[in-house]
Amino acid sequence: MEPIAIVGIDCRFPGAPDTGAYWDLLMRGADGVGKVPRQRWDAEEFHSAAGDEGHANTTEGGFIADPDAFDNEFFTISPREAAAMDPQQRLLLQSAWRAVEDAGIPPRTLAGTRTGVFVGIMGNEWAQLHLTDYANVTAQVGSGNGYCMTANRISYHLDLKGPSLAVDTACSSSLVAAHLAANALLAEECDHALVGGVNLALTPALSIFYTQAGLSAPDGRCKPFSAEANGIGRGEGVGVVVLRRLRDAIADGQRVYAVIRGTAVNQDGRSNGLTAPNRWAQQEVLAAAYRRAGVEPSDVVFTEAHGTGTALGDMMEVKALGHHHAGRAARPMALGSVKGNLGHTEGAAGIAGLIKVALSLHHRVVPASRFAAKESKQLKLRDHGLRLLKAPLRLPAGPTVAGLSSFGMGGTNAHAVLESAPAHTARPEPANTAAPGGIGAAVFTLTAPNADALRRNLLAQADAAAARRVPLGPLARWSNRVKAGHRHRFATVATDIAELVAGLRESAADPELLARLSARPAERPRSAFLFTGQGSQYPRMTAVLYEQSPLYRHFLDEADAALLPHTGKSVRDLILAGDDAVHSTQWTQPALFAVGYALGRTLTELGVRPEMLLGHSVGEFAAAVLARALPLDGAARLIAARGALMQELPEGGGMLAVRTTRADLEARIEREPLVGIAAVNGPTATVLSGDLEPLAEIGAELEAEGVTSRTLQVSHAFHSPLMRPVLDRFAEIAEQVGGGVPEIPLYSTVRGRVLDGEAMDAAYWVEHIGAPVLFGDAAGALLADGPTHLVEIGPQPVLSGMVRRLGGPAAGAGPVHVLPVRGPDSAGRDLAEALAELYRGGVEPDWDAVYAPEERVPHPLPPYAFSTDHRYWSRNPVRSQGTVAEPTIPALVAHGEPETAPAAVLTLDRPGGPADPVGQAVLGAVRMVGGYTDAEVGPHDRLYEDLGFDSVMIMELKNRLEARLTGIGTVTVQDLLPRLSSVGDLVAFLREIGAAAPGSAGTGDVAENPALMEEERTA
Amino acid sequence: MTTPTTFLASLGTALPGDPVDNATLAKVLGINEDWIEVFIGTRTRHFARDLGTGAVRWSLADLCAQAAEKALAAPEVDTSEIEFIVLGTATPDTLMPATVNHVADQLGLDQVPTFQLQSGCAGAVQALGVAQTMIASGQYRTGLVIGGDVCSKHLDLQRDVAGAAPGDLVNHVLFGDGAGAAVVTDEPRGQRLALRHVLNRFTGLGRKPGQVIEWFGLADRYDDRQALTEDYKAIEESVPVMAVEILWEMLGELDWEADQLDYLLPPQLSGRMTRRITEELDVPTAQDVSCVADTGNNGNALPFLQIEKLLERMSDGEKALAIAVESSKWIKAGFALEKI
Repeated sequence: MEPIAIVGIDCRFPGAPDTGAYWDLLMRGADGVGKVPRQRWDAEEFHSAAGDEGHANTTEGGFIADPDAFDNEFFTISPREAAAMDPQQRLLLQSAWRAVEDAGIPPRTLAGTRTGVFVGIMGNEWAQLHLTDYANVTAQVGSGNGYCMTANRISYHLDLKGPSLAVDTACSSSLVAAHLAANALLAEECDHALVGGVNLALTPALSIFYTQAGLSAPDGRCKPFSAEANGIGRGEGVGVVVLRRLRDAIADGQRVYAVIRGTAVNQDGRSNGLTAPNRWAQQEVLAAAYRRAGVEPSDVVFTEAHGTGTALGDMMEVKALGHHHAGRAARPMALGSVKGNLGHTEGAAGIAGLIKVALSLHHRVVPASRFAAKESKQLKLRDHGLRLLKAPLRLPAGPTVAGLSSFGMGGTNAHAVLESAPAHTARPEPANTAAPGGIGAAVFTLTAPNADALRRNLLAQADAAAARRVPLGPLARWSNRVKAGHRHRFATVATDIAELVAGLRESAADPELLARLSARPAERPRSAFLFTGQGSQYPRMTAVLYEQSPLYRHFLDEADAALLPHTGKSVRDLILAGDDAVHSTQWTQPALFAVGYALGRTLTELGVRPEMLLGHSVGEFAAAVLARALPLDGAARLIAARGALMQELPEGGGMLAVRTTRADLEARIEREPLVGIAAVNGPTATVLSGDLEPLAEIGAELEAEGVTSRTLQVSHAFHSPLMRPVLDRFAEIAEQVGGGVPEIPLYSTVRGRVLDGEAMDAAYWVEHIGAPVLFGDAAGALLADGPTHLVEIGPQPVLSGMVRRLGGPAAGAGPVHVLPVRGPDSAGRDLAEALAELYRGGVEPDWDAVYAPEERVPHPLPPYAFSTDHRYWSRNPVRSQGTVAEPTIPALVAHGEPETAPAAVLTLDRPGGPADPVGQAVLGAVRMVGGYTDAEVGPHDRLYEDLGFDSVMIMELKNRLEARLTGIGTVTVQDLLPRLSSVGDLVAFLREIGAAAPGSAGTGDVAENPALMEEERTA
Repeated sequence: MTTPTTFLASLGTALPGDPVDNATLAKVLGINEDWIEVFIGTRTRHFARDLGTGAVRWSLADLCAQAAEKALAAPEVDTSEIEFIVLGTATPDTLMPATVNHVADQLGLDQVPTFQLQSGCAGAVQALGVAQTMIASGQYRTGLVIGGDVCSKHLDLQRDVAGAAPGDLVNHVLFGDGAGAAVVTDEPRGQRLALRHVLNRFTGLGRKPGQVIEWFGLADRYDDRQALTEDYKAIEESVPVMAVEILWEMLGELDWEADQLDYLLPPQLSGRMTRRITEELDVPTAQDVSCVADTGNNGNALPFLQIEKLLERMSDGEKALAIAVESSKWIKAGFALEKI
């Protein structure tokens, strides 16, 4: 069959909270088995060493830690629903998310795809406890139980539209699920498949069963193929793997743990008894899997056996394997079983084995099998061509084939043949290497649903980055790719790992720093690029960035190459050499154009797409290229000619910046033919240009009146009547270059407004030379169109200050100023900081461009760290008297969102306040339906997105509202639906239709009101 | 079956922090800058310790892992293929665990044989020799060879050396810190540098050590012994002679003519000594590849730093020969490379 790649893994097993810990446990040959936790059942009460009726012969088993913890808020599941959910569903849901992340896929990008979910499960003990308590069977209890829901819930929460099903073939369930998933991938029913297995032991039922059937190990430990084997010990666990067709994984450059070469499933049929293992059927399923994989049995280097450690089971398995391998006594096949470490994880046994084999092939070493040292002589393993792994087996370089067996108690057998990943997929080649990239610093990003989650995950990432030598670029790039999609965006810049680790830890510890480095973008970002004009240049401008950033280098080189035929000398070299000639206009103009173009293109290459453009005078040329109104070559020719022609003019002109209005100055220059208004940068920021003599006179006059003015350091009187002599010659060149209508709104400093279908053609550029720079008007028009970010493109910030002085929206409400270059020392870090700022503001960068091509390799990060603050479990452990445990909603830790609306807004219109009985009643009903505490529900919460309401809960909410309020008798659910965007919206609607709370003076909260509590019980 | 040839597939080096120039060092130690320039001939070096505070910024394991990481990041090599690690050093972080194991840990390598060779300037060559033997056995196909030293452990910043004798002063200005690593394979990959021959021979029977580095334990930690002593007269006298012998012995072994050599990697004692030895080796057709004037004598990192420089120039079919002398107990070492 076509090979299937295992590209993502997540798991939790006894003694191993995650995949790394699982591997560590296996390599240490550690024991995950211990006493039955008191949370489950009273082991002593059910214990009988002799295995009396209704008792188990052991008080031990393999139990996972914290099965009750669930991050319901992450999945917007209400506490009430979470408490009603089988914890197996909850564990699978979290594990599925983590496995997808481990595959290098941001889980939200799978939404809407035909990804399949296949879950193996055989225990349903939560349902046995809760669905038999008929009086308390609610809608949530219904959807919280049932095998199907384990898979369907993953599909629902991740919005996966491929096949979604749960498989129960007893102990082989999760390997059969993997078999079905592989087949679905091969049939192209889906392109990604999540395969899960889960098992939780909530009652002693199976321990008693194993004891009564004579299969239970008194010490609760499976001892596979050991002389001391004396039965099964139960184990728990959850695991999820992400599968893809190998060719797709290779095409996407994904990291591959291992490859599934072939799988097979069969049945014992009418064998020696329903639950007895059948050697012939096992033999056949091995043969079928080998055939399907196209391997000879002798190719198989090691096999992860079912290996439960029962005398009969182990014997049958060895004989079945021996049938295929007995001939290779000289080079026997290595054999082991993870059950020695974990116990028999039943529905999760297949996935435990699959993950062990995948990790073995990935790490190129097979862990020793626990209890192997005292190998059972009776099994005569050597005669069957087998050897038990008493020590880890280091796999040689090159392809290695491995087998994996999982057999169900009812006779459904499964076997899989795996192989090590092809060499190039174990470490994929860099992706997308043709595109230039690298900005001289890395941007690490992380998103989370709230600030607490952000802190928790920052620490998890810091710990992982500090634990081992890791490369910064690939790590940061992976954070950009995978840790995306949640509302709170965190971004920080680093140039080495130690700096990153320190930064992450400081951010987690310091709320102020965290607030500075994270944001929750409220609106779609609209970036404006503002290009600086003459005056912003200086020797070696952006030189450090040029040295550090290959991306910027690429575009400055590109601009330089375009200019070279027209300037005759490299503008780039002139800039980098620190030549003072950059101040003479012949070089100033092309140099600023080159820097503006290079910086603008660097940003667009980084994914920052401006929606508005503005260039101050000369800055307009680079803006026109970005707007596609001028081609690069054409603009280069124009700017070079412009600079050269102006240089030819006799020096002697000057410019005077004056703190007064345009009108004031116009009056003063009326009689001065050689002086004109050069720029209007703001209401009282005007620049005069022209002959030095009259300028000096006007300056003196202004000074006498107490008006501030400043002479600008310029070689010529730009935008003045003195420019007239160049116009004809420039027009000639401009005619040849031409120019079109900008494709991105461009706010012209010639017109003082956005260009409306007007071409930036020869006429425009000729006019541009003499016309005053109407920056104030152009910037005002731009601001009025509501940009969220003003990105200043130039060698130092100039325009941001001018914009700020324009006034406009009140402080805090205006656009964010972003400065990719802050001055002569600016390096990659400033550019990276600018990108980080834009990302926090909602921009979606093209992250690959941040990194050098060789850094574009997968670098798996620790998956999402879920909150363990909320715990949902049966109130009492199971007792022998058959007492039914009740689901409880534990007191939840109150944790306010720091980003809730400002208090001022809340008090003005706050439903639920003391004088608002309707709001009070609605809040109470919402809390009751969702199982939230008082602090958790506020008027701004959205019912679906924030509180996890579904249609069943809406129905219930309506019933509860009817019980609490009068005047809403005729309201239907259809009436309600359009007004359910938030709790506040619902309250407003109910008020509109005249709802009232009978007899309530609105005192206190529902939870404290005994009368209402009574009503809730009877509702 | 023919014996597999060993190839250097990729190389990485690590030098801690910014280079420390003579002016800075002279100021910190209170000695004459010109003296360093003229008598030692070393311009810059790197220290793992902060010169101001004396605080350790990088351990030997850190530097070795940094260098190895660079070598492993090269095209056509993969961390998961590494089957053994050999580290040569004179200055381990601790006597136990051997530093090589911390390096493995930092690199995420597990379940592989590790070796650490306690040796001075010949350690890196000895490590290459062990790797060559392992590859030649056919039992291993890919390994990691590392050399590194943190000499600044003996740079006592508290001490006033203004009045110290030149022989003592030298110890403060000669050395530097660093590490280098190479991925070795049994087939031509990456840099395709065939390791043609490795020489490693003890020749010090009955001879007084030319260099001694002490180590101190709980019982003798307050002994008033000098941690580092060198017999500079003996070194100046013997090393050039030994270097010439090594050159000719290896050429004979390889059946190469001297004029076939494209590059010569001479022993890196100090800027001045290395220049002198190169003159005595007298292979005018071969380009000299040295680094000590810029890196300081950082022990077992040197051969890797030299190979790194060599790779910038070497083209297919060219040959290089490296010579190292460990003057502690007079060990002759060398290796020959050919790019194919």
